Amino acid sequence: MRIYTLLARNLAWYWRTNLAVLLGVATATGVLGGAALVGESVRASLRDLVLERLGNTDSIITRAGFFREELVGGFQPATPIIVMDGVVEHASSGKRAAGVQVYGVDERFGKFQGQPGDAPHGREVSLSAALARELGAKAGDEILLRVAKPSAIPLESLHGRKDDAGRTIRLTVGQAGDHSREFSLRTQQGDVRAAYVPLERLQRDLNQPGKVNTILVGRASGAAPLEQRLQERYTLADVGLRLRTLEKPGCLSLESDSAVIGDAVAAAAFSTAKSLGLHTQSVLTYLANSIRFGKREIPYSVVTALDSGLAPASQDGIALNDWAARELGAKVGDRATLEYYVWRSDARLHTETAQFRVERIVPLTGEAADPDFAPDYPGITGSRSLRDWDPPFPLDMSRIQPADEQYWDRYRTAPKAFVRLARGRALWGTRFGSLTSIRIFPPSAAYAEALRTALDPAQAGLAAIPVRVQSLQAAHGATDFGEYFVYFSFFLMVSALLLTGLFFKLGIEQRTREIGVLRALGFSAAKIRRIFLLEGAVLAVAGGVMGVGAALAYGALILLGLRSWWFDAVGTRLLSLHASVPSLALGAAAGMITGLGSVAWTLRGMQPVTPRGLLAGERKSGPLRWRWMVGTVAVILAAALVVAAHYGRLDQAAGFFGAGTLLLVAALLFQSVWLHARGLRAIGGPVALGLRSVQYRPGRSVLCIALIASATFVIASLDAFRRDGSLAGTGGYALLANAELPLIHDPNTEAGRAALNLSPLEGVRFIPFRVRPGDDASCLNLYQPRNPRILAPPPAFLRDARFAFQGAEGHAANPWLLLESKLAGGAIPAIADANSLDYALHRKLGEEFELAGVRYRIVAALQDSVFQGELIISEENFLRLFPDSQGYRFFLVNTPPGKADQVARTLTAALSDYGFDTQPTAALLASFHRVENTYLSTFRALGGLGLVLGTVGLAALLMRNVLERRREMALLRAVGYRRRHLFAIVLAENAFLLLMGLATGVVCAALAAAPAVSARGGHVPVASLAVLLALVAATGIASSAIATAVALRSQLLDALQSE
Amino acid sequence: MLEISNVGKQYPTPRGPLTVLAGASLSFNRGEAAAIMGPSGSGKSTLLYIAGGLEPPTTGTVTLDGFNPYATSEKALAAFRNQSVGFVFQDHCLLPQCSVLENVLVPALVGNDQADYPARARELLRQVGLEDRLDHRPAELSGGEKQRVALARALIRQPRLLLCDEPTGNLDEASAEMVSRLLLELSRRNETILIVVTHNPALAARFPKRYELRHANLHPAGA
Repeated sequence: MRIYTLLARNLAWYWRTNLAVLLGVATATGVLGGAALVGESVRASLRDLVLERLGNTDSIITRAGFFREELVGGFQPATPIIVMDGVVEHASSGKRAAGVQVYGVDERFGKFQGQPGDAPHGREVSLSAALARELGAKAGDEILLRVAKPSAIPLESLHGRKDDAGRTIRLTVGQAGDHSREFSLRTQQGDVRAAYVPLERLQRDLNQPGKVNTILVGRASGAAPLEQRLQERYTLADVGLRLRTLEKPGCLSLESDSAVIGDAVAAAAFSTAKSLGLHTQSVLTYLANSIRFGKREIPYSVVTALDSGLAPASQDGIALNDWAARELGAKVGDRATLEYYVWRSDARLHTETAQFRVERIVPLTGEAADPDFAPDYPGITGSRSLRDWDPPFPLDMSRIQPADEQYWDRYRTAPKAFVRLARGRALWGTRFGSLTSIRIFPPSAAYAEALRTALDPAQAGLAAIPVRVQSLQAAHGATDFGEYFVYFSFFLMVSALLLTGLFFKLGIEQRTREIGVLRALGFSAAKIRRIFLLEGAVLAVAGGVMGVGAALAYGALILLGLRSWWFDAVGTRLLSLHASVPSLALGAAAGMITGLGSVAWTLRGMQPVTPRGLLAGERKSGPLRWRWMVGTVAVILAAALVVAAHYGRLDQAAGFFGAGTLLLVAALLFQSVWLHARGLRAIGGPVALGLRSVQYRPGRSVLCIALIASATFVIASLDAFRRDGSLAGTGGYALLANAELPLIHDPNTEAGRAALNLSPLEGVRFIPFRVRPGDDASCLNLYQPRNPRILAPPPAFLRDARFAFQGAEGHAANPWLLLESKLAGGAIPAIADANSLDYALHRKLGEEFELAGVRYRIVAALQDSVFQGELIISEENFLRLFPDSQGYRFFLVNTPPGKADQVARTLTAALSDYGFDTQPTAALLASFHRVENTYLSTFRALGGLGLVLGTVGLAALLMRNVLERRREMALLRAVGYRRRHLFAIVLAENAFLLLMGLATGVVCAALAAAPAVSARGGHVPVASLAVLLALVAATGIASSAIATAVALRSQLLDALQSE
Repeated sequence: MLEISNVGKQYPTPRGPLTVLAGASLSFNRGEAAAIMGPSGSGKSTLLYIAGGLEPPTTGTVTLDGFNPYATSEKALAAFRNQSVGFVFQDHCLLPQCSVLENVLVPALVGNDQADYPARARELLRQVGLEDRLDHRPAELSGGEKQRVALARALIRQPRLLLCDEPTGNLDEASAEMVSRLLLELSRRNETILIVVTHNPALAARFPKRYELRHANLHPAGA
């Protein structure tokens, strides 16, 4: 016989108790492992989803503008496509879908993705299943696709075509694509809403023949890094640049498709020229509405700003060509006025003037007659006459005189005046650049290649993006569901561990005399503890192993819940269980360790009792005074936390959980003291006798109360954190809107409304926001937002000081104004919603971080607002950081009371060309709240499971108690008690424990959650809560009644005869 | 030699300390046997447990061959009980999960010598007449048989002191006779000091020395 033999005998002999312990550990393991599995499964599902949607795409080469399709040749395997956002309308039903991903593809795309023959042809369009469903479209139906019309010239510049921003294409639905392989570049868990359009059709309709804006690049083994390959293969044309050789001045002219050269490109152009020993001449050409001298004027004249040659010497000087001087009757020294249009960032066309002194009059020959100073302006430079001009700004044709037409006929865009470059830049420079061309002298054959090499294509907007790597990173998720479900399952786990400890304790108590015998036979207390610990270890390991199966079941159950009951929390049904060995091992290890810890905790009390005491079945409890003291301290600390949370010194959730836990601990300690001190004294009948039984094993009783109380606490308190549809986070705006195509005009002005073809809407006010598209940083997106959407409101909005803030740096009176502050170190001040910061961006107030090379600092956190998906920065910073971003694509809309629906309908219809999609702010806020409330429901459901476990444990404990006290029961029977009396005794004990647990949980929850209820606008559904708790009590008592009936069914009087 | 000198024992109660023993003294040489009698609650078992290292005295000392078990560590005290003392309790206290042979071997599990305990256990069980019940569980034995197993278990480590607390209290007359005979015979054979607590005069009469516990103190029987 060895110790192990004794161990084996013990395990087998006490199999019932051991099985209960084992099941407890298995449950804890299952809960922990299952929760970890959920985290891993969500990540793996997101990973699978994104990989499936990317197909063979590893990286992309992309540009906001278009580039040569042939560029694809250097990147095999690869395919050129057009990627756009658009609005799709079902032609017959009029159903619209905004925010649709539009992909221009051809057979190369099918081949690249391993789906040859899948590409649409002609006027055919393939719709993704979700989009087809949304529109109710079937094969053969006609749809209207509205996309932004590409414009190399910035819309927010004078020559940008603001009223022709979109293009509508009529297409026929060919097939609703293969659902399993729907391509998408967006990392989002929702359904793919995409239209796959023939590439050639899209190129033709967008007037971009042979051009695309994206190349999908597959993995090529052994290939050089994509950036390097791109740097080697791109051409200047691919980044919208061209070099013209101008014979007359004898130079190269670097020009841009956008008609302005950006600062980064200009810097590269200058440095390249310098490195080759070449000279440069910066040119800024602008169109003046008039050059005026006295009462005479020349309409619509090209003016060029230079720093050399023809340029005047002084900043206020102007050189007129002799034709202009003659027309104006001006001579050197006279003052001339230039009048010109400027498109400012306030979305309005301004007419401004500038005064000059005529410094020179130059003959209209040679360099002065060079029409190539002017860039190519669509609608102007190609016109045969001035009257044929079709510019995107108003022209007064009546001002044009025959002489002007003659000048146009003969000299085209040759400038009529020259000013200093610095003056020209000051007057006409924009965020897009302040040069229209750069001339390089003398023309060098080496310059083009040198510039191409020197220029980083990414700086010019042509970037290689490792989408697969980025998407996989994003698939790690904004939210660690494993962590969440560990929290959500916490009380379930605690219940399981309490039950584990409880059953182990029962086992130990059952064997108290055995322990005494072993002590009498010379086993030291340490040795006995080791034996029991070893037993516990065997049970913990077995439970851990068994728990692996439970973890799989629990994980599968939670994922089923996420796909169905808790769909709102994740917004996708594409989550599946991914059995991960590390997660299961982690759960098993944690279950074993916590199970063993629970056993060790139970064994800790064995030491103080002497062997004789153990032989007599004696138990010892710790000093009661200590419990009083700890309980009192816990109550004081809980009160401090509640007060701190109430006054905003502590996060409400942290305050609640801290205070609640402390109150629970205090309540249990006080109850322990009370029960040990024989708090129930009177015996007035069977029920009172049953209540006295609560004191039979005070430790067990307190454990039971703890089990019920902790789960009740969770269930009762969660409603305090529910959002009740409060509108505080809307800022008082009834509607918000997203536009697929940017609105360049201000709909608040008459001119803007006229340009947008929008009728005046009384009492409606728009707050237009600039938008840099990016990832949704709200709880609606499961993917980790790598590059969140950035919004920039107008300065007036900041001064309106709407919306409530959870916190702001320096406790600013109007935290919005912090966006305009200049921060030390150059970080950009940003504001985000507190929820986004906490759960999606994982940032704190005052934290600095870098996104796409820009350093931001969170200066304020909004409280539960509609801005949960983005970062907000000032318009000034926005335009500096994202100069290429055009117009306004997000709007808050004030409407007259009760008119929101009508205004929404009107705006949606009137601005449908822009894909203007309105939504009540309350609805968006409610969708965020729904996610939050769903999480609470999840927490509540799992807390409920904990309560069920607690109730089952209570019933098992009761049965155990009855079995232990069979002799006592038999004695009562012997002295005349009837079975119903015994039933009443046992049931009274159980009901007392159950009700004490429920009451303790409810009272602690009410005390701890009170500040949250008042501050968050939560409401406590007293009736439903009461019904739930009554159901729990009824279930608990019913299960106890069954257990009691089973235990009392045997012949009790036999117990008097047996030992 | 067992020396019990001036042993006192008090238990704290809500109404003040309860004195069970007040200055009890005894001494026994190797091979001696004695019975201690007294009414219920007189402190007989307490004295027995104090002598066996199961319950520390409030005052006084206990030494066995000059060794005071209460002046040592818990580990040494356990080793003392294991190697020097054998106990037989009124209700045998066998481990229900173990067989007869295994129950006898339980004390050997914490011994660190190389003795052939299984053989010794078999021999002891043969001596108590249970050689054919080695693999039986306690539940399959009669009360007398259980007590004989408990006796064999008490002797497995060849203790110098054998302490029995009402060893025949739960037995019928025939079984009680057999157990008491075995007790005396085996202790004599092993030169063990045997102390039996009983309020069975017939059992006590078989012992050469008899004491009575009255008023928390020991008195020679009949004195």
